Amino acid sequence: MSKLFFDHLIVWEEIDQEIKKVPLNREEKDELWKLLDEISANRILSSILDKLPLEHHEEFLDKFQKAPYDEGIFTYLKEKIGANIEELIKQEIGDLAYELLQDIKRKEN
Amino acid sequence: MPKYPAKTYEDINKDRIDVEFLRNKIKLKHLEAKKNFSEKYPYVEKFFREKGIDLAKIREHSAKLLGAGALTGALLLSPPTDGKTLPSPQEVVKALKERAEASPITQKLLVDSLAGILPEKTRSLTREEEKYLEQVFENVIGVKTKATLEGEHLNTTYGLIGAEQHLRRYPGDTLEQHGTGDVIKEGIAPGLGGWGYFAKSKNDLNERLEDTERWYAVVQTLYLPDWETRLSYLINWYKYRKVLIVNTVNGNAVVAAIADSGPAAWTGKHFGGSPEVMEYLGGKNYKKGPVVIFFVDDPENKVPLGPVDYNKINLSQSALIEI
Repeated sequence: MSKLFFDHLIVWEEIDQEIKKVPLNREEKDELWKLLDEISANRILSSILDKLPLEHHEEFLDKFQKAPYDEGIFTYLKEKIGANIEELIKQEIGDLAYELLQDIKRKEN
Repeated sequence: MPKYPAKTYEDINKDRIDVEFLRNKIKLKHLEAKKNFSEKYPYVEKFFREKGIDLAKIREHSAKLLGAGALTGALLLSPPTDGKTLPSPQEVVKALKERAEASPITQKLLVDSLAGILPEKTRSLTREEEKYLEQVFENVIGVKTKATLEGEHLNTTYGLIGAEQHLRRYPGDTLEQHGTGDVIKEGIAPGLGGWGYFAKSKNDLNERLEDTERWYAVVQTLYLPDWETRLSYLINWYKYRKVLIVNTVNGNAVVAAIADSGPAAWTGKHFGGSPEVMEYLGGKNYKKGPVVIFFVDDPENKVPLGPVDYNKINLSQSALIEI
């Protein structure tokens, strides 16, 4: 499965619907989807590193590169951060989805 | 006001403006996110670079690791089959025969067989699990399938399928020409399928191509780890490639042709199905659900597209569920 450990937290149905309104060919669609994928990964990694004490950053990155799909990483993060990191990521992803929708929909105004 | 044929360029231009607007907005957002991240955490990119990994391609890197892990059974995820040892293909065939004699309701037999092996939450299957399912599908459904065909394997064979729209089959195709009633309520995609139009014109559209659009599937070719490096080969290999889609909740099965790429990873889905595929798999209101997808092993091209009517007896209500 093509998967990152936080994938289950991202369900951008509304953005998907907006993009589906535009007549993209396969290459354009693939390109945009990958860009959105990278944007979400950058924002999620950033919000994790913001909360994770600096001395654990390398250990986390090592775990992530060895098994990017492993949801067990959440157990590690909860242990090191204390806060409910899944909820924090959901919040970040929700904020990002809002920003993206504002950008994408602006042309309709 | 009617539009003169000579003015259709207005639509084309408007479409391109929409595409460019969207691309520019998302590219800008991407640059901003990347810049912010690099400035805040410069050592992260360095870390990945030293490991020989492009952070922008972390999903493909993950797919590679998962593919290798499935082969060796060495995934770090929760142990497949929960520690159970799967029976050999011969044992599977024997057990299925015995169970079919005791209970001739084949669809129920399939649902039970799937429940015995598949976890509730979708995840990558090991090659051992896939071999088991190949035997089950061949012996219960009667369709020979392979999770790995001619060396090709999808990133996942057990995942969530979502509803897709109709695809334009030829220039000038409209939704109304795809049928009436529920089957057209999903609408028609403004863009083309992964392989463009199915036919050059309405006159060139034949029954086979009509069926290809009617029973089409969407798979995430874009996330295949070697999609870009083997594009010229893979693009032809996947074009209209037949797959068997099995709804793991109710056992409904359909043979479909791959005709588009997707869905995006951030939709929470792994496959897509045409309106007809989705209706057959789960009923009129079926939008999303778990399925297994394997390639149909059909070198002589004899397996028709569409529903697989392997169930000769009325099912019990518990087996056939509309979702």
